[in-house]
Amino acid sequence: MVSFWKLRQSPNFRFAMLTLPGALFLLIFLVLPLISILIFSFWRTESYQLIADWNIENYKTILGQKTYLTFMWRSLVMAVSVSLVCLIYAYPVAYLVAKRGGRYRLILVLLTAAPFFTGIILRVTAMQQILGPIGLLNMALQTFGFEPIQILMYSNVASAIGLVYLWIPFMVLAIYLSLLNFNFELLEVAYVNGAKPWRAFLEITWPLNWIGTAIGIVLVFIPTFAAFVTPRFLGGVNGALYGNILEHQFGATGTWALGSAMGVVLFFICLIFIMIIWRTINLQRSGYTGEEF
Amino acid sequence: MAAVSPKERVVVVSQSSLLVFLYIFLYFPIFFIIYVSFVDNTVWPFPPVFTWEWYERLWIMSDFHLGLLNSFLIGIGTGALSSIFAASAAIGLLKYQSRLRGLFAVLYLSPLFVAGILIGISSLMFHRNILGLPGNLTSAILANTTQALSFAFLVILAQLTRYDWRMDEAAMVFGARPARCFWEVTLPTIWPSVLGAFLVSFILAFNNLEVTFYNVGAIPTLPTIAWGTLRHGIEPELYSLATVINGLVFFILIILFFLIRLGFVRLGYRGQ
Repeated sequence: MVSFWKLRQSPNFRFAMLTLPGALFLLIFLVLPLISILIFSFWRTESYQLIADWNIENYKTILGQKTYLTFMWRSLVMAVSVSLVCLIYAYPVAYLVAKRGGRYRLILVLLTAAPFFTGIILRVTAMQQILGPIGLLNMALQTFGFEPIQILMYSNVASAIGLVYLWIPFMVLAIYLSLLNFNFELLEVAYVNGAKPWRAFLEITWPLNWIGTAIGIVLVFIPTFAAFVTPRFLGGVNGALYGNILEHQFGATGTWALGSAMGVVLFFICLIFIMIIWRTINLQRSGYTGEEF
Repeated sequence: MAAVSPKERVVVVSQSSLLVFLYIFLYFPIFFIIYVSFVDNTVWPFPPVFTWEWYERLWIMSDFHLGLLNSFLIGIGTGALSSIFAASAAIGLLKYQSRLRGLFAVLYLSPLFVAGILIGISSLMFHRNILGLPGNLTSAILANTTQALSFAFLVILAQLTRYDWRMDEAAMVFGARPARCFWEVTLPTIWPSVLGAFLVSFILAFNNLEVTFYNVGAIPTLPTIAWGTLRHGIEPELYSLATVINGLVFFILIILFFLIRLGFVRLGYRGQ
Protein backbone atom coordinates (compact mmCIF):
# COMPACT_ATOMS: atom_id res chain seq x y z
CA MET A 1 0.00 0.00 0.00
CA VAL A 2 2.81 2.35 0.94
CA SER A 3 4.69 1.43 -2.20
CA PHE A 4 1.63 2.17 -4.32
CA TRP A 5 1.41 5.60 -2.70
CA LYS A 6 5.05 6.16 -3.55
CA LEU A 7 4.46 5.01 -7.10
CA ARG A 8 1.65 7.51 -7.50
CA GLN A 9 4.01 10.28 -6.48
CA SER A 10 6.65 9.38 -9.05
CA PRO A 11 6.92 11.54 -12.19
CA ASN A 12 7.08 8.44 -14.38
CA PHE A 13 3.73 7.22 -13.07
CA ARG A 14 2.14 10.62 -13.67
CA PHE A 15 3.68 10.78 -17.14
CA ALA A 16 2.15 7.39 -17.90
CA MET A 17 -1.25 8.36 -16.49
CA LEU A 18 -1.39 11.40 -18.74
CA THR A 19 0.04 9.99 -21.96
CA LEU A 20 -1.20 6.39 -21.92
CA PRO A 21 -4.97 6.93 -22.48
CA GLY A 22 -4.50 8.57 -25.88
CA ALA A 23 -1.69 6.19 -26.78
CA LEU A 24 -3.86 3.16 -25.97
CA PHE A 25 -6.68 4.67 -27.98
CA LEU A 26 -4.37 5.04 -30.98
CA LEU A 27 -3.05 1.50 -30.55
CA ILE A 28 -6.57 0.07 -30.49
CA PHE A 29 -8.27 2.23 -33.10
CA LEU A 30 -5.41 3.01 -35.47
CA VAL A 31 -2.71 0.35 -35.18
CA LEU A 32 -4.97 -2.70 -34.66
CA PRO A 33 -7.17 -1.82 -37.67
CA LEU A 34 -4.04 -1.53 -39.82
CA ILE A 35 -2.85 -4.91 -38.55
CA SER A 36 -6.31 -6.37 -39.17
CA ILE A 37 -6.29 -5.39 -42.84
CA LEU A 38 -2.83 -6.93 -43.10
CA ILE A 39 -4.39 -10.20 -41.88
CA PHE A 40 -7.49 -9.93 -44.08
CA SER A 41 -5.28 -9.24 -47.08
CA PHE A 42 -4.17 -12.90 -46.92
CA TRP A 43 -7.77 -14.16 -46.88
CA ARG A 44 -10.25 -14.31 -49.70
CA THR A 45 -13.76 -12.99 -50.31
CA GLU A 46 -16.64 -15.07 -51.55
CA SER A 47 -19.99 -13.40 -52.28
CA TYR A 48 -19.34 -10.47 -49.94
CA GLN A 49 -18.01 -12.71 -47.13
CA LEU A 50 -14.46 -12.85 -45.81
CA ILE A 51 -13.14 -16.41 -45.66
CA ALA A 52 -10.08 -17.31 -43.58
CA ASP A 53 -8.38 -19.27 -46.29
CA TRP A 54 -4.75 -18.16 -46.23
CA ASN A 55 -3.28 -17.31 -49.63
CA ILE A 56 -1.27 -14.66 -51.43
CA GLU A 57 -3.51 -14.43 -54.49
CA ASN A 58 -4.50 -10.82 -53.69
CA TYR A 59 -0.89 -9.67 -53.80
CA LYS A 60 -0.29 -11.66 -56.99
CA THR A 61 -3.24 -9.82 -58.53
CA ILE A 62 -2.08 -6.36 -57.45
CA LEU A 63 1.61 -6.75 -58.19
CA GLY A 64 1.23 -9.02 -61.23
CA GLN A 65 -1.61 -7.56 -63.28
CA LYS A 66 -0.85 -4.73 -65.61
CA THR A 67 -4.02 -2.75 -64.79
CA TYR A 68 -3.19 -2.44 -61.10
CA LEU A 69 0.41 -1.51 -61.82
CA THR A 70 -0.75 1.13 -64.27
CA PHE A 71 -2.99 2.74 -61.65
CA MET A 72 -0.16 2.58 -59.13
CA TRP A 73 2.24 4.21 -61.57
CA ARG A 74 -0.27 6.95 -62.43
CA SER A 75 -0.81 7.73 -58.77
CA LEU A 76 2.93 7.82 -58.17
CA VAL A 77 3.50 10.25 -61.05
CA MET A 78 0.57 12.35 -59.84
CA ALA A 79 1.80 12.41 -56.23
CA VAL A 80 5.37 13.31 -57.19
CA SER A 81 4.32 16.09 -59.58
CA VAL A 82 1.72 17.56 -57.22
CA SER A 83 4.25 17.54 -54.35
CA LEU A 84 6.83 19.26 -56.58
CA VAL A 85 4.41 21.94 -57.74
CA CYS A 86 3.29 22.58 -54.15
CA LEU A 87 6.92 22.73 -52.99
CA ILE A 88 8.04 25.17 -55.68
CA TYR A 89 5.03 27.40 -55.19
CA ALA A 90 4.80 27.26 -51.40
CA TYR A 91 8.46 27.94 -50.60
CA PRO A 92 8.66 31.59 -51.71
CA VAL A 93 5.22 32.27 -50.23
CA ALA A 94 6.11 30.80 -46.83
CA TYR A 95 9.48 32.57 -46.98
CA LEU A 96 7.84 35.92 -47.59
CA VAL A 97 5.34 35.51 -44.75
CA ALA A 98 7.92 34.23 -42.26
CA LYS A 99 10.52 36.88 -43.09
CA ARG A 100 8.44 39.96 -43.78
CA GLY A 101 5.00 39.17 -42.38
CA GLY A 102 5.79 41.03 -39.15
CA ARG A 103 2.77 41.35 -36.90
CA TYR A 104 0.48 40.12 -39.67
CA ARG A 105 2.21 36.82 -40.27
CA LEU A 106 -0.17 34.77 -38.11
CA ILE A 107 -3.20 35.98 -40.02
CA LEU A 108 -1.40 35.75 -43.38
CA VAL A 109 -0.50 32.10 -42.84
CA LEU A 110 -3.86 31.18 -41.30
CA LEU A 111 -5.53 32.58 -44.42
CA THR A 112 -3.68 30.02 -46.53
CA ALA A 113 -4.66 27.24 -44.10
CA ALA A 114 -8.34 28.18 -43.64
CA PRO A 115 -9.75 26.64 -46.86
CA PHE A 116 -8.41 23.25 -45.75
CA PHE A 117 -11.12 23.16 -43.08
CA THR A 118 -14.04 23.36 -45.49
CA GLY A 119 -13.57 19.70 -46.36
CA ILE A 120 -12.44 17.79 -49.43
CA ILE A 121 -15.81 17.25 -51.03
CA LEU A 122 -16.87 20.90 -51.03
CA ARG A 123 -13.50 22.06 -52.29
CA VAL A 124 -13.63 19.57 -55.15
CA THR A 125 -17.17 20.74 -55.93
CA ALA A 126 -15.91 24.33 -55.99
CA MET A 127 -13.06 23.33 -58.29
CA GLN A 128 -15.41 21.46 -60.62
CA GLN A 129 -17.55 24.58 -60.80
CA ILE A 130 -14.49 26.40 -62.19
CA LEU A 131 -12.83 23.73 -64.37
CA GLY A 132 -15.70 21.47 -65.48
CA PRO A 133 -17.30 21.51 -68.95
CA ILE A 134 -20.02 23.88 -67.71
CA GLY A 135 -17.57 25.48 -65.29
CA LEU A 136 -16.84 29.17 -65.16
CA LEU A 137 -13.59 29.02 -67.15
CA ASN A 138 -15.08 27.13 -70.04
CA MET A 139 -18.30 29.13 -70.15
CA ALA A 140 -16.28 32.36 -70.12
CA LEU A 141 -14.20 31.13 -73.06
CA GLN A 142 -17.31 30.14 -75.00
CA THR A 143 -19.13 33.38 -74.20
CA PHE A 144 -16.25 35.42 -75.56
CA GLY A 145 -15.93 33.18 -78.62
CA PHE A 146 -12.85 31.12 -77.79
CA GLU A 147 -12.29 27.39 -78.08
CA PRO A 148 -12.65 25.45 -74.80
CA ILE A 149 -9.35 24.37 -73.26
CA GLN A 150 -9.71 20.59 -73.45
CA ILE A 151 -6.80 19.85 -71.15
CA LEU A 152 -8.47 21.60 -68.20
CA MET A 153 -11.66 19.56 -68.51
CA TYR A 154 -11.80 16.08 -67.07
CA SER A 155 -8.12 15.29 -67.41
CA ASN A 156 -5.16 14.40 -65.25
CA VAL A 157 -4.09 18.04 -65.42
CA ALA A 158 -7.44 19.06 -63.93
CA SER A 159 -6.96 16.41 -61.20
CA ALA A 160 -3.50 17.76 -60.49
CA ILE A 161 -4.79 21.34 -60.20
CA GLY A 162 -7.50 20.08 -57.85
CA LEU A 163 -4.98 18.21 -55.72
CA VAL A 164 -2.65 21.20 -55.51
CA TYR A 165 -5.70 23.21 -54.49
CA LEU A 166 -6.51 20.70 -51.73
CA TRP A 167 -3.07 20.16 -50.22
CA ILE A 168 -0.91 23.24 -50.79
CA PRO A 169 -1.97 24.63 -47.36
CA PHE A 170 -0.03 21.79 -45.68
CA MET A 171 3.13 22.65 -47.61
CA VAL A 172 2.89 26.38 -46.85
CA LEU A 173 2.27 25.67 -43.18
CA ALA A 174 5.10 23.15 -42.80
CA ILE A 175 7.71 25.37 -44.50
CA TYR A 176 6.43 28.44 -42.65
CA LEU A 177 6.72 26.76 -39.25
CA SER A 178 10.27 25.73 -40.08
CA LEU A 179 11.27 29.21 -41.29
CA LEU A 180 9.73 30.70 -38.15
CA ASN A 181 12.57 29.18 -36.13
CA PHE A 182 15.20 30.01 -38.75
CA ASN A 183 17.68 32.74 -38.01
CA PHE A 184 17.61 34.98 -41.11
CA GLU A 185 20.72 36.81 -39.86
CA LEU A 186 22.74 33.78 -40.97
CA LEU A 187 22.03 34.91 -44.53
CA GLU A 188 23.38 38.39 -43.82
CA VAL A 189 26.59 36.78 -42.62
CA ALA A 190 26.80 34.83 -45.88
CA TYR A 191 26.15 37.95 -47.98
CA VAL A 192 28.79 39.94 -46.07
CA ASN A 193 31.23 37.17 -46.85
CA GLY A 194 30.44 37.47 -50.52
CA ALA A 195 27.90 34.70 -51.13
CA LYS A 196 25.40 35.22 -53.94
CA PRO A 197 21.72 34.97 -52.84
CA TRP A 198 21.13 31.64 -54.62
CA ARG A 199 24.24 30.14 -53.03
CA ALA A 200 23.22 31.39 -49.58
CA PHE A 201 19.78 29.82 -50.19
CA LEU A 202 21.18 26.47 -51.35
CA GLU A 203 23.79 26.19 -48.60
CA ILE A 204 22.00 27.78 -45.65
CA THR A 205 18.24 28.27 -45.96
CA TRP A 206 17.43 25.03 -47.81
CA PRO A 207 19.47 22.57 -45.65
CA LEU A 208 18.61 24.26 -42.35
CA ASN A 209 14.90 24.07 -43.16
CA TRP A 210 14.96 20.68 -44.85
CA ILE A 211 13.15 18.83 -42.01
CA GLY A 212 10.13 21.14 -42.18
CA THR A 213 10.20 21.03 -45.98
CA ALA A 214 10.44 17.23 -45.97
CA ILE A 215 7.44 17.00 -43.61
CA GLY A 216 5.53 19.26 -46.01
CA ILE A 217 6.43 17.04 -48.97
CA VAL A 218 5.29 13.88 -47.14
CA LEU A 219 2.06 15.56 -45.98
CA VAL A 220 1.21 16.41 -49.61
CA PHE A 221 2.49 13.17 -51.14
CA ILE A 222 0.43 10.78 -48.99
CA PRO A 223 -3.09 12.19 -49.50
CA THR A 224 -2.31 12.78 -53.18
CA PHE A 225 -1.18 9.20 -53.69
CA ALA A 226 -4.34 7.96 -51.95
CA ALA A 227 -6.67 10.47 -53.64
CA PHE A 228 -10.00 9.18 -54.90
CA VAL A 229 -12.50 12.05 -54.69
CA THR A 230 -10.52 14.50 -56.82
CA PRO A 231 -9.70 12.17 -59.76
CA ARG A 232 -13.27 10.92 -59.72
CA PHE A 233 -14.79 14.36 -60.21
CA LEU A 234 -12.04 16.14 -62.11
CA GLY A 235 -10.11 13.34 -63.81
CA GLY A 236 -12.65 12.15 -66.37
CA VAL A 237 -12.77 8.72 -68.03
CA ASN A 238 -9.04 8.07 -68.08
CA GLY A 239 -8.34 9.87 -64.84
CA ALA A 240 -8.92 7.04 -62.35
CA LEU A 241 -6.09 6.63 -59.85
CA TYR A 242 -5.08 3.93 -57.38
CA GLY A 243 -7.46 5.37 -54.76
CA ASN A 244 -10.40 4.86 -57.11
CA ILE A 245 -9.90 1.14 -57.62
CA LEU A 246 -9.17 0.78 -53.90
CA GLU A 247 -12.46 2.50 -53.12
CA HIS A 248 -14.18 0.29 -55.70
CA GLN A 249 -13.27 -2.89 -53.75
CA PHE A 250 -15.19 -1.61 -50.73
CA GLY A 251 -18.15 -0.40 -52.75
CA ALA A 252 -19.89 -2.20 -55.57
CA THR A 253 -17.71 -5.31 -55.82
CA GLY A 254 -17.36 -5.95 -52.07
CA THR A 255 -14.05 -7.73 -52.48
CA TRP A 256 -12.84 -6.98 -48.97
CA ALA A 257 -9.74 -9.16 -49.04
CA LEU A 258 -8.39 -7.71 -52.28
CA GLY A 259 -9.23 -4.22 -51.02
CA SER A 260 -7.36 -4.90 -47.78
CA ALA A 261 -4.32 -6.01 -49.75
CA MET A 262 -4.52 -2.83 -51.81
CA GLY A 263 -4.66 -0.85 -48.58
CA VAL A 264 -1.57 -2.67 -47.30
CA VAL A 265 0.27 -1.94 -50.54
CA LEU A 266 -0.75 1.73 -50.26
CA PHE A 267 0.55 1.81 -46.70
CA PHE A 268 3.91 0.34 -47.66
CA ILE A 269 4.38 2.64 -50.66
CA CYS A 270 3.82 5.63 -48.38
CA LEU A 271 6.16 4.11 -45.78
CA ILE A 272 8.90 3.58 -48.38
CA PHE A 273 8.47 7.17 -49.51
CA ILE A 274 8.75 8.42 -45.90
CA MET A 275 11.88 6.30 -45.40
CA ILE A 276 13.50 7.64 -48.58
CA ILE A 277 12.82 11.18 -47.41
CA TRP A 278 14.00 10.29 -43.89
CA ARG A 279 17.33 9.06 -45.26
CA THR A 280 17.99 12.52 -46.68
CA ILE A 281 17.64 14.15 -43.26
CA ASN A 282 20.92 14.85 -41.55
CA LEU A 283 20.12 16.10 -38.06
CA GLN A 284 23.44 17.90 -37.61
CA ARG A 285 23.13 19.66 -40.97
CA SER A 286 19.61 20.72 -39.99
CA GLY A 287 20.81 22.64 -36.97
CA TYR A 288 19.43 20.05 -34.53
CA THR A 289 20.75 20.82 -31.08
CA GLY A 290 19.46 17.83 -29.14
CA GLU A 291 16.45 19.59 -27.63
CA GLU A 292 13.29 17.68 -28.28
CA PHE A 293 10.73 20.44 -28.31
CA MET B 1 9.48 46.96 -42.97
CA ALA B 2 13.19 47.66 -43.17
CA ALA B 3 14.67 49.51 -46.11
CA VAL B 4 15.26 47.21 -49.07
CA SER B 5 17.57 47.46 -52.04
CA PRO B 6 16.04 47.65 -55.54
CA LYS B 7 17.08 44.07 -56.19
CA GLU B 8 15.43 42.84 -53.01
CA ARG B 9 12.36 44.85 -53.89
CA VAL B 10 11.95 42.81 -57.07
CA VAL B 11 12.14 39.60 -55.00
CA VAL B 12 9.63 40.86 -52.44
CA VAL B 13 7.23 42.07 -55.12
CA SER B 14 7.33 38.76 -56.99
CA GLN B 15 6.89 36.78 -53.76
CA SER B 16 3.98 39.03 -52.79
CA SER B 17 2.30 38.47 -56.15
CA LEU B 18 2.68 34.72 -55.65
CA LEU B 19 0.99 35.09 -52.25
CA VAL B 20 -1.83 37.19 -53.67
CA PHE B 21 -2.33 34.73 -56.52
CA LEU B 22 -2.40 31.87 -53.98
CA TYR B 23 -5.17 33.63 -52.05
CA ILE B 24 -7.14 34.15 -55.26
CA PHE B 25 -6.59 30.51 -56.26
CA LEU B 26 -7.73 29.31 -52.81
CA TYR B 27 -10.66 31.65 -52.24
CA PHE B 28 -12.09 32.44 -55.67
CA PRO B 29 -13.73 28.99 -56.15
CA ILE B 30 -15.19 29.17 -52.63
CA PHE B 31 -16.66 32.64 -53.08
CA PHE B 32 -17.84 31.81 -56.57
CA ILE B 33 -19.82 28.83 -55.28
CA ILE B 34 -21.35 31.03 -52.56
CA TYR B 35 -22.32 33.57 -55.22
CA VAL B 36 -23.80 30.89 -57.49
CA SER B 37 -25.92 29.54 -54.62
CA PHE B 38 -27.95 32.75 -54.71
CA VAL B 39 -28.63 32.90 -58.45
CA ASP B 40 -31.06 31.14 -60.75
CA ASN B 41 -28.82 31.03 -63.83
CA THR B 42 -26.09 28.88 -62.28
CA VAL B 43 -24.27 27.92 -65.48
CA TRP B 44 -23.32 31.44 -66.59
CA PRO B 45 -24.46 33.72 -63.77
CA PHE B 46 -23.82 37.09 -65.45
CA PRO B 47 -25.89 39.16 -65.02
CA PRO B 48 -27.27 37.38 -61.93
CA VAL B 49 -30.93 36.54 -61.43
CA PHE B 50 -31.18 36.22 -57.68
CA THR B 51 -33.21 33.46 -56.06
CA TRP B 52 -33.64 31.61 -52.76
CA GLU B 53 -34.71 28.45 -54.55
CA TRP B 54 -31.58 26.40 -53.82
CA TYR B 55 -31.92 27.15 -50.12
CA GLU B 56 -35.60 26.22 -50.14
CA ARG B 57 -34.77 22.97 -51.94
CA LEU B 58 -32.01 22.26 -49.45
CA TRP B 59 -34.36 22.95 -46.56
CA ILE B 60 -36.98 20.47 -47.78
CA MET B 61 -34.39 17.83 -48.73
CA SER B 62 -35.31 14.86 -46.56
CA ASP B 63 -31.78 13.95 -45.46
CA PHE B 64 -30.53 17.47 -44.87
CA HIS B 65 -31.66 17.98 -41.27
CA LEU B 66 -30.67 14.49 -40.26
CA GLY B 67 -27.32 14.90 -42.01
CA LEU B 68 -26.67 18.19 -40.27
CA LEU B 69 -27.53 16.67 -36.89
CA ASN B 70 -25.36 13.60 -37.49
CA SER B 71 -22.41 15.66 -38.67
CA PHE B 72 -22.76 17.79 -35.53
CA LEU B 73 -22.83 14.69 -33.32
CA ILE B 74 -19.76 13.21 -35.02
CA GLY B 75 -18.00 16.55 -34.69
CA ILE B 76 -18.83 16.96 -31.01
CA GLY B 77 -17.96 13.38 -30.09
CA THR B 78 -14.67 13.49 -31.99
CA GLY B 79 -13.86 16.97 -30.69
CA ALA B 80 -14.44 15.96 -27.07
CA LEU B 81 -12.43 12.72 -27.28
CA SER B 82 -9.58 14.29 -29.24
CA SER B 83 -9.17 17.39 -27.12
CA ILE B 84 -9.23 15.44 -23.84
CA PHE B 85 -6.69 12.84 -25.05
CA ALA B 86 -4.53 15.52 -26.68
CA ALA B 87 -4.53 17.90 -23.69
CA SER B 88 -3.66 15.10 -21.31
CA ALA B 89 -0.88 13.85 -23.58
CA ALA B 90 0.59 17.29 -24.25
CA ILE B 91 0.68 18.11 -20.52
CA GLY B 92 2.28 14.74 -19.75
CA LEU B 93 4.92 15.15 -22.45
CA LEU B 94 5.88 18.69 -21.54
CA LYS B 95 5.59 18.54 -17.76
CA TYR B 96 7.49 15.33 -17.05
CA GLN B 97 10.93 14.79 -18.54
CA SER B 98 10.40 11.14 -19.41
CA ARG B 99 12.83 9.31 -21.67
CA LEU B 100 9.83 7.96 -23.56
CA ARG B 101 8.51 11.35 -24.65
CA GLY B 102 10.03 11.13 -28.14
CA LEU B 103 8.36 7.78 -28.72
CA PHE B 104 4.99 9.05 -27.52
CA ALA B 105 5.27 12.23 -29.61
CA VAL B 106 5.89 10.08 -32.70
CA LEU B 107 2.89 7.88 -31.88
CA TYR B 108 0.60 10.88 -31.37
CA LEU B 109 1.66 12.43 -34.68
CA SER B 110 1.69 9.18 -36.70
CA PRO B 111 -1.97 9.43 -37.86
CA LEU B 112 -0.97 12.51 -39.89
CA PHE B 113 1.11 10.19 -42.07
CA VAL B 114 -1.60 7.61 -42.71
CA ALA B 115 -3.85 8.33 -45.69
CA GLY B 116 -7.45 9.14 -44.75
CA ILE B 117 -8.93 6.42 -46.94
CA LEU B 118 -6.66 3.88 -45.25
CA ILE B 119 -7.94 4.91 -41.82
CA GLY B 120 -11.45 4.67 -43.27
CA ILE B 121 -11.21 1.17 -44.72
CA SER B 122 -9.07 -0.33 -41.95
CA SER B 123 -11.48 0.97 -39.27
CA LEU B 124 -14.39 -0.41 -41.29
CA MET B 125 -12.81 -3.86 -41.47
CA PHE B 126 -11.68 -3.83 -37.83
CA HIS B 127 -14.91 -2.47 -36.33
CA ARG B 128 -17.17 -4.71 -38.34
CA ASN B 129 -15.26 -7.98 -38.47
CA ILE B 130 -13.40 -7.95 -35.17
CA LEU B 131 -15.28 -5.69 -32.75
CA GLY B 132 -18.67 -6.61 -34.25
CA LEU B 133 -19.49 -2.91 -34.33
CA PRO B 134 -21.76 -2.04 -37.27
CA GLY B 135 -21.45 1.24 -39.13
CA ASN B 136 -23.00 3.96 -36.96
CA LEU B 137 -22.17 7.25 -35.25
CA THR B 138 -20.04 5.60 -32.53
CA SER B 139 -18.00 3.78 -35.12
CA ALA B 140 -17.52 7.01 -37.11
CA ILE B 141 -16.52 8.98 -33.99
CA LEU B 142 -13.94 6.36 -32.98
CA ALA B 143 -12.40 6.28 -36.46
CA ASN B 144 -12.38 10.07 -36.85
CA THR B 145 -10.77 10.58 -33.46
CA THR B 146 -7.55 8.84 -34.54
CA GLN B 147 -6.84 11.49 -37.16
CA ALA B 148 -8.32 14.48 -35.32
CA LEU B 149 -6.29 13.56 -32.22
CA SER B 150 -3.05 14.42 -34.05
CA PHE B 151 -4.30 17.83 -35.10
CA ALA B 152 -5.62 18.54 -31.59
CA PHE B 153 -2.28 17.43 -30.14
CA LEU B 154 -0.39 19.81 -32.46
CA VAL B 155 -2.66 22.73 -31.57
CA ILE B 156 -2.23 22.24 -27.83
CA LEU B 157 1.48 21.41 -28.03
CA ALA B 158 2.18 24.57 -30.06
CA GLN B 159 0.65 26.72 -27.33
CA LEU B 160 1.79 24.75 -24.32
CA THR B 161 5.48 25.07 -25.18
CA ARG B 162 5.12 28.66 -23.92
CA TYR B 163 3.59 27.56 -20.63
CA ASP B 164 5.73 28.10 -17.54
CA TRP B 165 5.66 24.87 -15.53
CA ARG B 166 7.10 26.66 -12.49
CA MET B 167 3.52 27.80 -11.81
CA ASP B 168 2.54 24.19 -11.30
CA GLU B 169 5.59 23.60 -9.13
CA ALA B 170 4.64 26.63 -7.05
CA ALA B 171 1.15 25.22 -6.55
CA MET B 172 2.58 21.82 -5.60
CA VAL B 173 5.00 23.39 -3.14
CA PHE B 174 2.01 24.92 -1.40
CA GLY B 175 0.50 21.49 -1.13
CA ALA B 176 -1.86 21.24 -4.13
CA ARG B 177 -2.39 17.70 -5.43
CA PRO B 178 -1.86 17.22 -9.19
CA ALA B 179 -5.60 17.20 -9.90
CA ARG B 180 -6.23 20.41 -7.98
CA CYS B 181 -3.18 21.99 -9.60
CA PHE B 182 -4.64 21.11 -13.00
CA TRP B 183 -8.10 22.54 -12.30
CA GLU B 184 -6.95 25.69 -10.54
CA VAL B 185 -3.66 26.59 -12.24
CA THR B 186 -3.06 24.79 -15.53
CA LEU B 187 -6.54 24.66 -17.06
CA PRO B 188 -7.51 28.30 -16.33
CA THR B 189 -4.38 29.33 -18.23
CA ILE B 190 -4.43 26.91 -21.16
CA TRP B 191 -8.19 26.63 -21.84
CA PRO B 192 -8.03 28.66 -25.08
CA SER B 193 -5.71 26.08 -26.62
CA VAL B 194 -7.88 23.17 -25.44
CA LEU B 195 -10.99 24.83 -26.85
CA GLY B 196 -9.03 25.55 -30.03
CA ALA B 197 -8.11 21.86 -30.29
CA PHE B 198 -11.76 20.94 -29.75
CA LEU B 199 -12.87 23.27 -32.55
CA VAL B 200 -10.21 22.05 -34.98
CA SER B 201 -11.10 18.40 -34.42
CA PHE B 202 -14.81 19.29 -34.53
CA ILE B 203 -14.46 20.87 -37.98
CA LEU B 204 -12.29 18.04 -39.30
CA ALA B 205 -14.76 15.36 -38.22
CA PHE B 206 -17.79 17.44 -39.25
CA ASN B 207 -16.47 17.72 -42.81
CA ASN B 208 -14.72 14.39 -43.06
CA LEU B 209 -15.66 12.20 -45.98
CA GLU B 210 -13.23 9.33 -46.42
CA VAL B 211 -13.19 8.16 -42.80
CA THR B 212 -16.84 8.88 -42.04
CA PHE B 213 -18.17 7.41 -45.28
CA TYR B 214 -16.82 3.94 -44.53
CA ASN B 215 -17.76 3.91 -40.84
CA VAL B 216 -21.15 5.54 -40.60
CA GLY B 217 -23.14 2.81 -42.34
CA ALA B 218 -26.31 4.05 -44.04
CA ILE B 219 -26.69 7.07 -41.74
CA PRO B 220 -26.50 10.36 -43.67
CA THR B 221 -24.00 13.10 -42.81
CA LEU B 222 -23.49 16.34 -44.75
CA PRO B 223 -20.30 15.20 -46.55
CA THR B 224 -21.80 11.82 -47.49
CA ILE B 225 -24.94 13.57 -48.80
CA ALA B 226 -22.71 15.88 -50.85
CA TRP B 227 -20.74 12.88 -52.13
CA GLY B 228 -23.95 11.07 -53.09
CA THR B 229 -25.36 14.14 -54.85
CA LEU B 230 -22.12 14.87 -56.68
CA ARG B 231 -22.00 11.34 -58.05
CA HIS B 232 -25.22 11.99 -59.94
CA GLY B 233 -23.81 15.20 -61.39
CA ILE B 234 -23.73 18.67 -59.85
CA GLU B 235 -27.08 19.85 -58.56
CA PRO B 236 -27.67 23.41 -57.38
CA GLU B 237 -28.63 22.21 -53.86
CA LEU B 238 -24.96 21.41 -53.48
CA TYR B 239 -24.11 25.11 -53.78
CA SER B 240 -26.42 26.13 -50.97
CA LEU B 241 -25.16 23.20 -48.88
CA ALA B 242 -21.57 24.31 -49.53
CA THR B 243 -22.45 27.87 -48.56
CA VAL B 244 -24.02 26.76 -45.29
CA ILE B 245 -20.99 24.62 -44.39
CA ASN B 246 -18.47 27.28 -45.45
CA GLY B 247 -20.31 29.85 -43.36
CA LEU B 248 -20.18 27.58 -40.33
CA VAL B 249 -16.48 26.78 -40.88
CA PHE B 250 -15.48 30.42 -41.25
CA PHE B 251 -17.47 31.35 -38.16
CA ILE B 252 -15.58 28.71 -36.17
CA LEU B 253 -12.24 29.78 -37.66
CA ILE B 254 -12.83 33.37 -36.55
CA ILE B 255 -13.46 32.13 -33.01
CA LEU B 256 -10.32 30.01 -33.34
CA PHE B 257 -8.25 33.00 -34.43
CA PHE B 258 -9.28 35.01 -31.39
CA LEU B 259 -8.64 32.00 -29.15
CA ILE B 260 -5.08 31.76 -30.48
CA ARG B 261 -4.57 35.47 -29.84
CA LEU B 262 -6.06 35.08 -26.37
CA GLY B 263 -3.76 32.11 -25.76
CA PHE B 264 -0.74 34.21 -26.68
CA VAL B 265 -1.83 36.97 -24.35
CA ARG B 266 -2.56 34.68 -21.42
CA LEU B 267 0.65 32.73 -21.76
CA GLY B 268 2.52 35.96 -22.48
CA TYR B 269 2.02 37.01 -18.84
CA ARG B 270 4.55 34.41 -17.76
CA GLY B 271 7.33 36.55 -19.16
CA GLN B 272 9.72 33.86 -20.36
